[in-house]
Amino acid sequence: MRRWLVILLLFTGFAFAQDSLKVGFIYVGPIGDAGWTYAHDLGRLATMAALPSIETVIVESVAEADIEPFIDQLVADGVQVIFATSFGYGDGVLAAAARYPDIIFAHATGIQRAPNVMTYIADFYQVYYLNGLIAGALTESNELGYVAAFPIPEVKRHINAFALGAREVNPEAIVEVRWLFSWFDPAGAKEATEALIAEGADVFAFTEDTPTVIQTAAERGFPSYSHYASMYEFSPDTVVSGQIVNWEAIYIDFLQGVLDGTYTNENLSDLDYFWRLGEDSVSAGAAPGMVINPVYEDQLRAAVLDHPEFGEISVYDLVFARIEQMSMTEPAYEPFTGPLSDRKGNVVYEEGQVATIPELLGLQWAAANVVGPWPEEP
Amino acid sequence: MLERFGIRLVPRLAAPAYVVFLISLGAIIAAIIVTGFIFWAYGVNPFSAYAIIAERTLFNGRGFSEVVRKSVPLLLAGVGLVLAFRAQFWNIGAEGQILAGAVGASGVALFVPLPPPLAIPAMFLAGFIAGALWGFLPAILKIRLGVNEIITTLMMNYIALYIVRWLINGPWKGESVVGFSYSDLFDRAIWLPTIGTTRLHWPTLLLGLLLAAFIAFLINRMRLGFEVRMIGEGPAAARYAGVNFLTTTLILVSLAAGAAGLAGVGEVAGIHHRLVEPNSISLGFGYTAIIVALLARGSPLAAILTALFMGWVFASGDVMKVALRLPFQITGVINGLVLLFIICSEPLLRYRIERIGSRASAVESETGPA
Amino acid sequence: MEVDQVTYTVARALAFSTPLLWAALGEIFAERAGVVNLGVEGMMILGAVAGFIVAQTAGAPYLGLVLAATVGAAAALAHAFISITLRGNQYISGLALTIFGLGFSGLIGRSWVGKPLGTPMEFITVPGLSEIPLLGPALFTDQYLLTYVGLVTAALLWFILYYTRPGLALRTVGESPAAADATGTSVTLVRYLAVVFGGLMAGVAGGYLSIAYRPSWGEGMTNGMGWIALAIAIFSLWDPLRAVAASFFFGAFFFLSFLLQKVFPPELLTLLPYTFTIVALTVVALGKEGRAFGAPEALGLPYRRGER
Repeated sequence: MRRWLVILLLFTGFAFAQDSLKVGFIYVGPIGDAGWTYAHDLGRLATMAALPSIETVIVESVAEADIEPFIDQLVADGVQVIFATSFGYGDGVLAAAARYPDIIFAHATGIQRAPNVMTYIADFYQVYYLNGLIAGALTESNELGYVAAFPIPEVKRHINAFALGAREVNPEAIVEVRWLFSWFDPAGAKEATEALIAEGADVFAFTEDTPTVIQTAAERGFPSYSHYASMYEFSPDTVVSGQIVNWEAIYIDFLQGVLDGTYTNENLSDLDYFWRLGEDSVSAGAAPGMVINPVYEDQLRAAVLDHPEFGEISVYDLVFARIEQMSMTEPAYEPFTGPLSDRKGNVVYEEGQVATIPELLGLQWAAANVVGPWPEEP
Repeated sequence: MLERFGIRLVPRLAAPAYVVFLISLGAIIAAIIVTGFIFWAYGVNPFSAYAIIAERTLFNGRGFSEVVRKSVPLLLAGVGLVLAFRAQFWNIGAEGQILAGAVGASGVALFVPLPPPLAIPAMFLAGFIAGALWGFLPAILKIRLGVNEIITTLMMNYIALYIVRWLINGPWKGESVVGFSYSDLFDRAIWLPTIGTTRLHWPTLLLGLLLAAFIAFLINRMRLGFEVRMIGEGPAAARYAGVNFLTTTLILVSLAAGAAGLAGVGEVAGIHHRLVEPNSISLGFGYTAIIVALLARGSPLAAILTALFMGWVFASGDVMKVALRLPFQITGVINGLVLLFIICSEPLLRYRIERIGSRASAVESETGPA
Repeated sequence: MEVDQVTYTVARALAFSTPLLWAALGEIFAERAGVVNLGVEGMMILGAVAGFIVAQTAGAPYLGLVLAATVGAAAALAHAFISITLRGNQYISGLALTIFGLGFSGLIGRSWVGKPLGTPMEFITVPGLSEIPLLGPALFTDQYLLTYVGLVTAALLWFILYYTRPGLALRTVGESPAAADATGTSVTLVRYLAVVFGGLMAGVAGGYLSIAYRPSWGEGMTNGMGWIALAIAIFSLWDPLRAVAASFFFGAFFFLSFLLQKVFPPELLTLLPYTFTIVALTVVALGKEGRAFGAPEALGLPYRRGER
């Protein structure tokens, strides 16, 4: 036993030898999920490349309620900043933050902060709106398919944004939704897509953690979108655009602040990143740098409409015009702007009224052209 | 074949306790050695790996509290399975029974306004009943109609899982969770007390220990215990001994499933403090409890040790993930290996090795298959 | 529902039932010989990962399938050794195989995650038959070869089981190993063959998932299908032809649970296949009072000469 302890001391001694900022990432899924966790890890790698003075530690597949023992271990390893990348980690993060007041915590998609806990999210709804513009132009059946994980506000927000975009270029377009009630269910995602095809849908968006929808739609040649990270290589001919997250935008900004002393373990109570296109935390594209797949460029250039704001414009140009507007620090365009009614006919936003961030975070209503089950519809 | 080495295997009725212990220990050590090779294959020195694991799980207060905390649901569900397996009821459904117990407790916590001194016992009672009901259906289907309990208990796991999902996405979804799929937090007054700032909710632990003692007493002393042993010998033997096969099995299975239900209560009332995703409520405790029960080889008291052991395996998996940077899937591999080694050691319990020449008990034969 | 939705449902049921059918047929043979193997899920996922890796590296989907079958069979061999030779507890051995398979496949599949299979299995549209109205699109358009091979295999296995000497030997071993032993059949050999065959079939089922159905590898991608296959084996009363019907039924159910979300609450639809399994087993049992509805008599029991 004593010899073991000696070995152990040597081991830990080496671990503490460096003098850099040690950052821990706690992931809810495996890095290989090709979705949520994978995107966070890409962000981590980009952050490491940008900030050479940090060192990172990762832990994969940590069950939501089981985060505390992992925080204990990371702290014991000398980690000073911990990113917890799932909403369900909230209770554990706050409890651990109270026990470790010197450690800085960052809770993705969280709502509750503390002096040493900040919250952050990179939100896609603007990008889903852009996808909707494209879908409205590409559909022949005027039916768009949407495979969705859980009926939570985040997903509902994205479906609505997609539907609003589609309606802007194609008043006939409807969005058919199918729920998986799981973030990971490849067979379910496949058959849900097939069910949507049976219903007549011919463009496919999704919010779940596998590229299944892309692969299934591609078998019939139907266009679909990358989600979280580039899924372009799953079907180079049919992935038309998509939503790509750049978590590093937030990670670098925050860690830079920690390094230069702007952010400490005492002043995070009001720090909430709600970053969108304007801050580059998300971008539109089938792959980074490819906003619209060249395969579809001609078709989208040929789809010309008479737009109330831009006059005669092709959908291709409209997408870029909207990206420019929404990429400003104060976005010049907001998809959730009144007049908007839900599909039951209730007015949600009056003419000119713009959705606030808290309203978007708690969104439950369904856009007028959304079809299909909608649990907890107000 | 063995005769060539001058030995042969002789069947025996029941292995003495110390032999059972040694053989089980041997199986575990074999698994630990093979795991060491896996470490080595990943470029981690097995000795320093085990040293780190020991330091973080055994010689560290919080670390050890996690070992015990994880062994609590394993103990409750495992003790129940010891009883069920003794009655030859192959309950694969502890996972679903844990979830059912969690639902029962959450129902009380969220919707029944009771003063805390009453609310906590009421949660445990509701969880026990819910778990027991979840085991009751497969039990009665098996006894009355011969429906295979492995399939039914397994299906009941999925049903419980989807019911929990439905609850947290629909009727029980919390007001304060901005639409995410969780229930609201339970009132802080009815959270189970923990030891210090650890997550070890001791009332559930105490309950597990008491239950293990009670079931041990039951099996060894009471009339029902005699019936358990008779049922374990098979329906025919039970009838011959005048045991009411139907009622007794129903009681046993309900008790076993209720115990798993209690584990679910402990998880929601002591750890999560709300109803959460089914895969978060139970980290596969119901399936691991099967290993706990098997390792215990029919002894409820031994289940205390084996639950601790499997709790340690769980906690070690966490250490491997963080400190050794090993892929998390390794825990599953190790669990599978432990289980395989245990079954492989089973024949050693049924036979003893004898040198050819001593004719003492070569004609003794077994009474039935294991 | 419109007509083309019916044909579509049939087509999807056929595609989704294929892995269930392959795995269930294998399990039926193992159980007919008296050996339960709860490791179907584990053998499937090992087959899926091995099949994917080989198909991807070699660029040959059918070679991948062969390896998937081989790996499934090898995993089953371990189960056979434990349950037949060591006479260990079959239920637990199978469970261990599942736990091990899920973990091990994740481990070796780590670097293959998130990449599409370059050369997936191609769809088949049967010339001529696909022109038939209704039946053509339902049964003979855009399916995988394995779907048809699976159906033919089921018929073949049914014939072997009931009308050939090896089939008789298999059934006897499962019903009364002592009687089989007395007539000179090697119980051990028959059981080994049946269990290994079961693993081979489960391996193919896994390979279908990662090479054809959704041509990529993902951690835990079998997602409980192995357990459904086990249920189908029992549900079909260990009859290969009934297994075709049962698998088809599960496939249709699964697809309809998405197609009909507009009509039925989706939360409840997810429960149906599992609830239905229990109900169906109960109904079948009610119809066959007394004997445990045709289960092989010696199912789950190890055999040793001179015993019983």
